[in-house]
Amino acid sequence: MNFTLHTPSGYWNPLLWVAFLVLFAVVGYIIYSRGNPAHKTGEQAKPYLSGNEEPDVEEIRVRASDIYWGFLEALKGYYRVLIAMHTGDLRDYIYWYIGVGTVIILIFLGGL
Amino acid sequence: MGKLTSFKRSLWVFHASGGSCNACDIEIVALLTPRYDVERFGIRLAGSPRHADVLLVTGAIPRDFADKLRRIYEQMPDPKAVVVVGSCGTTGGVFYDSYNIAGPIDEIIPVDVYVPGCPPRPEAIIDGVVKAWLKIERLEKELEGKTGGDGE
Repeated sequence: MNFTLHTPSGYWNPLLWVAFLVLFAVVGYIIYSRGNPAHKTGEQAKPYLSGNEEPDVEEIRVRASDIYWGFLEALKGYYRVLIAMHTGDLRDYIYWYIGVGTVIILIFLGGL
Repeated sequence: MGKLTSFKRSLWVFHASGGSCNACDIEIVALLTPRYDVERFGIRLAGSPRHADVLLVTGAIPRDFADKLRRIYEQMPDPKAVVVVGSCGTTGGVFYDSYNIAGPIDEIIPVDVYVPGCPPRPEAIIDGVVKAWLKIERLEKELEGKTGGDGE
């Protein structure tokens, strides 16, 4: 099977492309494996924070949930009620399901 | 005075003020004024030790600052040199027996050049920094030999 695609400006062969990719990866790995004697780890690689120790990332990193801070703050009255309702107890959720379902059925039966 | 051959860039200096009374710090600031203008020699103050070649330290070092100074020194890239400016940093000065002083700076980090004085004159500080420059020159050559490159 011939994989070569000929075009007016040249040709394209995926097998050749993979072969070159492997070749470049091997050359890259050889250079990488030699290492850099001047490369430092430890304190020299850490950020400068006015000489203070770097805090744990959990303390300083902006979490994904922080993106919603504005919504949570603006709607905190609503969320306070909603979070209180989410007890984590499955029986509470079934009570809600049955209760809301009963109200809906009564509305439909009443023809409203 | 030696000849600079291998350190082929501007010398960036980071200033760490410990328990200084600010007299030495003011003399360091005087170096940047038009009268002394060390930036014409390529010597400039850097905002971070990560970008600095020379660490200028002033004042006797309080206990709370000792570990911070150690960390600042360790964060500087190689090659690096330390210049102590003023009598307090050199010997402890008038604070030598204070309960709150961790000691002269050379008891905390290795010091290459001492510039004594209370405060030292700006010309003396420039002389100290240039002496540190010569040491960095030697370290740069050693680093070049180790990496086989330009030591960057």
